[in-house]
Amino acid sequence: MFGEPPSKSGETVVYALRLGFDEQLKTVKVEVPKGEPRPWDADAELRVVGKETPRVDGPEKVSGAATYTHDVRLPGMLHAAILRSPHAAAEIEHIDVGPALKRPGVKAAIPLVKVGARVRFAGADIAAVAATSRAEARAALAAIDVRFRPLPFVVDPDEAMQPGAPEVHQGEIKERRTEGDEPSEGGGARRQGNVRMSPSQKKGNAAKGLRQAKVSHDATYTTQVHTHAALETHSIVVRWDSPTSMTAWCSTQGIFSVRDELANVFELRPADVRVHTPFMGGGFGAKFGASAPGSRLGFAAGELARKAKAPVSLLLDRHEEHVCTGNRPSSSQRVSLGASPSGALTGIHVVAHGSAGIATGAGVGNNAFGIYTRCPNILVESRDVFCNTGPGTAFRAPGHPQGGFAIELALDELAAKVGKDPLALRLEHVDHPVRRYQLELGRERFAWAARREAAAKARERGARMRRGVGVACSIWGDYGRAKAAHVTVSVDRDGAVEVRNGVQDIGGGITTVLGMVVAEVLQRPLAAVRVRMGDSELGPSVGSGGSQTTSSVAPAARNAAEGVKAELSALAAGLLDAKSPAEVVWGPDGAVSTAGGRRSLSFAELCKKIPGDAVVATATRPKTYGHHPVRHPGGDVYQIAGAQFVEVLVDTWTGVVTVPEILAIHDAGRIHNPLTCRSQVNGGVALGLSYALTEARVMDRGSGRMLNPNLETYKIVGTRDMPKLDVIFTEVHTGANSTGAIGIGEPATIPTAAAIACAVFDAVGHPVRSLPITPDKVLRALEGQA
Amino acid sequence: MEPFSLIRPRTLKAARDRVTGAADTRVFKAGAIDLLDLLKEGLARPGELVDLHSLQDAEGAAMRALALAEGRWSIGALNTLATIAASGLPEPYAALKEAAGSAATPGIRNRATLGGNLLQRPRCWYFRHGDLGCLKKGGESCLADGGENKYHAILGGGPCHIVHPSTLAVALVALGAEVEVVGDAGARTIGVEQLFALPRTSPLTEHTLAPGEVIRAVRLPEAPASQRSVYEVAKEKQSFDWPLAEVAAAIVVEGGSIRSAQIGLGHVAPVPWRAVQLEQALVGQAPSADLFARVAPLATQGARPLGQNAYKIKLTQGLVRAALHRACGIDVPA
Repeated sequence: MFGEPPSKSGETVVYALRLGFDEQLKTVKVEVPKGEPRPWDADAELRVVGKETPRVDGPEKVSGAATYTHDVRLPGMLHAAILRSPHAAAEIEHIDVGPALKRPGVKAAIPLVKVGARVRFAGADIAAVAATSRAEARAALAAIDVRFRPLPFVVDPDEAMQPGAPEVHQGEIKERRTEGDEPSEGGGARRQGNVRMSPSQKKGNAAKGLRQAKVSHDATYTTQVHTHAALETHSIVVRWDSPTSMTAWCSTQGIFSVRDELANVFELRPADVRVHTPFMGGGFGAKFGASAPGSRLGFAAGELARKAKAPVSLLLDRHEEHVCTGNRPSSSQRVSLGASPSGALTGIHVVAHGSAGIATGAGVGNNAFGIYTRCPNILVESRDVFCNTGPGTAFRAPGHPQGGFAIELALDELAAKVGKDPLALRLEHVDHPVRRYQLELGRERFAWAARREAAAKARERGARMRRGVGVACSIWGDYGRAKAAHVTVSVDRDGAVEVRNGVQDIGGGITTVLGMVVAEVLQRPLAAVRVRMGDSELGPSVGSGGSQTTSSVAPAARNAAEGVKAELSALAAGLLDAKSPAEVVWGPDGAVSTAGGRRSLSFAELCKKIPGDAVVATATRPKTYGHHPVRHPGGDVYQIAGAQFVEVLVDTWTGVVTVPEILAIHDAGRIHNPLTCRSQVNGGVALGLSYALTEARVMDRGSGRMLNPNLETYKIVGTRDMPKLDVIFTEVHTGANSTGAIGIGEPATIPTAAAIACAVFDAVGHPVRSLPITPDKVLRALEGQA
Repeated sequence: MEPFSLIRPRTLKAARDRVTGAADTRVFKAGAIDLLDLLKEGLARPGELVDLHSLQDAEGAAMRALALAEGRWSIGALNTLATIAASGLPEPYAALKEAAGSAATPGIRNRATLGGNLLQRPRCWYFRHGDLGCLKKGGESCLADGGENKYHAILGGGPCHIVHPSTLAVALVALGAEVEVVGDAGARTIGVEQLFALPRTSPLTEHTLAPGEVIRAVRLPEAPASQRSVYEVAKEKQSFDWPLAEVAAAIVVEGGSIRSAQIGLGHVAPVPWRAVQLEQALVGQAPSADLFARVAPLATQGARPLGQNAYKIKLTQGLVRAALHRACGIDVPA
């Protein structure tokens, strides 16, 4: 493994690595900090990492033994409920929680607003109650004496932009950013009425490029508000262990963000707040911190627990989950494209207005800016439009599915105008070699040309059932974080191997990957490695946002395991009378021997000789070493590519769209566990399909209330809606970190809705420029009124 | 959800005695699918649920039966949707089996009953939202009128614009079924269409039963062996969704022309809707793709869409064509 002699220069070491993908591999010199192991590259021969491996915690999950926050029961635990505003905008004239305290079972009640405060959306916090049962807590809410002065409100973004619309905010707007947001410069605070500018993305001169164009396309694309709707609702259990310390269980994507918020709110030292998330039931960007984006859950649970002197469990119901825990903002994107008669893009200009309700963050991602890089002139401008609705927040690839939908469908419409195949048009504008490779691979595997031709014939015949195909790309960055995750690996005298880190597993499978990486390095079977995670006392770690968990944690785990291995090699060298630890050879079963194999020790024999109790090493990972082959725009990190090919089937008599087949081709660096990685893509595609066809928050303009805060009329696709789904990974050796881990969670959902929209356009010959693509819109498009 | 008592009577008389005169606080319970939704949202706050599954008398047996009686099929009200979908009902009644197998989810179909399906409350999101007052809940106006009405009625609406949620009723209308009702004066039989009432009668209820009356069974009329019946539905989502519109058609073709046609439409009106003009236009004609395309618009004759649901007109016509093609065995050109 440490075969060739690295060249050293001060604090760094240069390795010649085999990087790239498929047949496009080359030797690249990569400079890494001293002390880092030789990064795994294309030549690395791995035994565990890269093999399909079932989740180590799978049996617990499927048998019901896994303990989620909803399952936590502590002695004397109380149950909390929150009174929420029925008004979309109101001023609090009076509030008294006293009457609730007299209700059966109630042990504590607190107001969450003050007299004179404004509530800005229906569902905002008003007061909280803790009682001996959940039913008693909920019943007691009715006794809280609160008087609202209703104020004018606006829940529709178009209305909110009109002159004279009720102003959602007064004064400056604070931007709330979490680990779920894609790193960027963020917006300014300038606001005009309900509209606030965000920074634009600019290259060349878009106005000039559009003026020079011989062919133009100009249209507006709209997307709906998409709620996260994780199966496990936001939940937190707080127990005070002393007046200055507490333990919390939380359904979170960021254990340490929960710790920090609780410490901050209750003026505790972070070290005196312990947070557990052994299992969690889904997080798509809305579960950072102890609270939800629109509800102070951490404060409410902690304060009720303090007042009642008992642990408090606060679990949101489905209605609350929809209205106050965040959502993917809406968008209305005016896309202007200019091109030569042969379809060479001369300019792209996108002006996006989106509403994150009372919050900021309705941008439209990097799709229009970063994918079709051969277009010389690009300008993407975005604006937040405030409404009296629950706050938007990070949602699996914030901005990207909406941005992808608009630019990709617009490109297909342009391609139709110039009489060009839309896949050919894409290939003519893509530079990224991995993305080009994926598009070409999909063209062949998906029988693109034959399907396009069949679709055209069915359109000409006016067939009732029409198939169509579409393709769209994803773009994302390698946001794996430096010095964030500190992983500990230990081997004790019994030979027991343990890996510890405070990371949470939101379903991506980091628990299994931690075990796999350590098993790889120490040449142990996976079953022999105990993985401990989900607890803030197990060492700092990252939040699971930005597709950064595996790439932040797995390299740290490798580095810690290498540290343990080095120490065991030194021990073995002494025992085997080797001249140096470098002479010690590790066998596939963990046995150590000297170079010629003259003397050897089994792993168990070696461990028995460990002085003291165990060999322990803790390590983290440095910032990315590099970004072969392509840099992400605006950063110094690797750019992740992906493309999805979709076939739809449209019933032109009813407008019903179904999706028989999807081919998802994604790059995620070195695929550590193909089984769980594919599962991420399955989930990303399901989410994107649901966003494309069925999910939409429906607000009532009259009452300011959400009309479908449930899982019945808020429609999430089920098994019968799922396509035949093929996943192909383009494994790229990026040389970015010691294991080559790169993210997949977010890229997997970016192109799905866009590709579906393109396929519908292919099937019916008219674009549906509004998500979700429901039968009413398809029927209108067929009548030519899209 | 408020606490309640579950009463498990052994005779229908005992069950009815319990509810009659106290219908505000005591309700019948069969599969409890819709009832549970109503309880959870606070739309019903009964102190007592009177179970019909516990009946041990002859009425109870009739409510559980699914059999030929005097040459006609009788389906007891307590039969589940899953039972009906998998039953041995002969080919002329296939529409009912298809409808029963299409509604909801396998889990719900295993629990939901025929009687409950017919008498379930509407899914209108203004009605179902516990905090919003509307006509159907004794309020002043229909909030869907001028509000969010994509899923609402295009036919027969006003002053309330719900669509009736029963999928089985659509098939039963096409099949010309009768409903046996047990009340204070004993049993009575009504046509299935008479079970339902338009909101202009009263927006507070969707059916014509008196308080304490119970559906015992549904009876299907005799049908010629050549009758073909089908059920077609369009949903936004293919796993567990309510129909946007649905059509059931029962057709008899003899000697190359349509001898009888009976067509029910669902999710387009506050009651299961009978497409009478369409039926009349079909009878006596030779079935063909051209005929179906020409007469399908008659299904929605008189439609008065609200702001967001005009698409249901075309959609319903499309389903009508699909149903007629299948019922008459004429392929749709590919």
